[in-house]
Amino acid sequence: MAAAANFPLLIILILFLSSFMMPVLKRVKAVKWLSLSSILLCVVLSVLTLAYVQQNGAFLYKVGHFEAPWGNELKIGYLEAIMSIMFTSIAALITWASFFSADYEIKEKNIMLYYTLCGMLLASLLGILYSNDIFNCFVFIELSSIAACGIVVVKDKKENIKAGVKYLILSSLGSGLVLMGIAFLYSITGNLNIGFIHQELVKVKDLYHNTLIISLGLFTVGLGVKSAMFPVHIWLPDAHTYAPSSSSALLSSLVLKAYILLYIKIIYRVFGIEIVKTLPILEIVLVMGAVGMIFGSILALLQKDLKRMIAYSSVAQIGYIFFGIGLGNILGLMAAIFHIISHALTKSALFLIAGNIIERIHSKEISRLKGIGIEMPITLGVFVVCALSMVGIPLFAGFNSKWNFALAIIDSNRILFIAVLVASSLLNALYYLPIIINAYFGEENTKDRVYMSKEKSLGALLPILILAFAIIYLGISSNGIIDLIAKSVSNL
Amino acid sequence: MERLITNYYETASIILFGIGFMTLLIHNNLIKKIIGMNIMDTSIFLFFIAKGYISAKEAPIIRAPYMGVEGYINPVPTALMLTGIVVAVSVTAFALALTIKIYEKYGTIELNEILEKGGD
Repeated sequence: MAAAANFPLLIILILFLSSFMMPVLKRVKAVKWLSLSSILLCVVLSVLTLAYVQQNGAFLYKVGHFEAPWGNELKIGYLEAIMSIMFTSIAALITWASFFSADYEIKEKNIMLYYTLCGMLLASLLGILYSNDIFNCFVFIELSSIAACGIVVVKDKKENIKAGVKYLILSSLGSGLVLMGIAFLYSITGNLNIGFIHQELVKVKDLYHNTLIISLGLFTVGLGVKSAMFPVHIWLPDAHTYAPSSSSALLSSLVLKAYILLYIKIIYRVFGIEIVKTLPILEIVLVMGAVGMIFGSILALLQKDLKRMIAYSSVAQIGYIFFGIGLGNILGLMAAIFHIISHALTKSALFLIAGNIIERIHSKEISRLKGIGIEMPITLGVFVVCALSMVGIPLFAGFNSKWNFALAIIDSNRILFIAVLVASSLLNALYYLPIIINAYFGEENTKDRVYMSKEKSLGALLPILILAFAIIYLGISSNGIIDLIAKSVSNL
Repeated sequence: MERLITNYYETASIILFGIGFMTLLIHNNLIKKIIGMNIMDTSIFLFFIAKGYISAKEAPIIRAPYMGVEGYINPVPTALMLTGIVVAVSVTAFALALTIKIYEKYGTIELNEILEKGGD
């Protein structure tokens, strides 16, 4: 099993190679299967990597056998291993679901490019996750933002281009800020390797207090723009609403999460939590997260468009994650990481469901969803699971993450924030439950509806069913995952 | 004030960064936004390369008498910024391509007009 140490690099290479082969292939069907099979191979490799990490502990992988400060390194610990399983398996499910929706949403000549971009996007996100070199992370960030804009504009409609331009401008602003942050760090430490930067920072932290504040502030705003932290989330609703539904699922469940994971890496590995606690940044992140939790939900409540509502709900959920990071204790970080997983499962399922519904009733309006529970019972059944998980009902994954957030709040002695958590959950209930009630009940809603008349085929429903089972599984027995996350947090 | 003049490279690059940042944020014209983005990126390149420069040392290209490590400037920032330039060029190209598309679809590249027209 010593070969397993090579798997992370291999995963990135397989994804890049297969995605660059796609434009050469002539047939759309071949492209689809190449895309799915390469991602499935990466799922297997990620699982083997986790097994290897469980045996041997976290390890550093030298790319090209050059020693650390000169060569690039990948660092794979529990966090990276769990997250890469999550990233690749959710990407595989979304790709499977897109087989059935891409023909409807994307022009035929663009479908191959769509799968190319998806492969590149996944590869660069995994690159951000694995890399132990901060400049390498920046290159992967730029690559992923181009690919992410690509899968927004691939639909080639008026609104898509507008949303894509907005996204590209704001995300290049964000990467500019990140690069400036790296420049400040490089100027005081002379290193780009995360481990070496940390060693140097511990020595010079008292000399350069202001530089550290500026640098961490630039990282916070830069990665905050890219991962839609509350006041700088303005690109997200447009991009998520107009993109093809499989792209929205990818964007919301994976792309945002990769930047947040990089932010966690920057706080805990580059700076180290002891240094970060002397700076005022985490308090700001905490407040922004809490404000995002409330305002994201309120904005979602005001929407009439199904996908836009789910997009604003993403803003609120990202608020939860930043809130957990901002608490600054181990429990908060664990809750944030658990929420990254549960939100990725739930939100990808919700966007895929929204795609199915929009395809069948040809409307995005929430008011048109009446009685849909009779016509599409399985799709709406999964929607109910996701909605209950979002609200935080026991037996679903969302409950466990909210429970962990509550424990973390109590641990950090900031009891008032429990009120924010409860208020946000109630707001979630306010916008998800009316959809469910109107879909199943009410005499005039259900009259003349034919049972199962608009349901998609079982193959198309398979991904959302698997996601629903995963949500329930995480809700019933989260101990295994929590243990793994605890291990990953203690070895950060 | 004296510190600003001694570190004139850094001062200049931060001023340029501010100019680029504001151009990117407040202008409505997409081409001007892209120019702002480029100014911002270039200012970071200046900052980085200034960090690698050591006065009175040579460029890190080894010719006949090798002068030891002490004789040359730090080549790492320069190499990094080559990558940075490549990234900036590709983002610019993509942004310009999207601008062409915007002009085809909306007939204007002023962002405020696009937002008025494209209300859904």
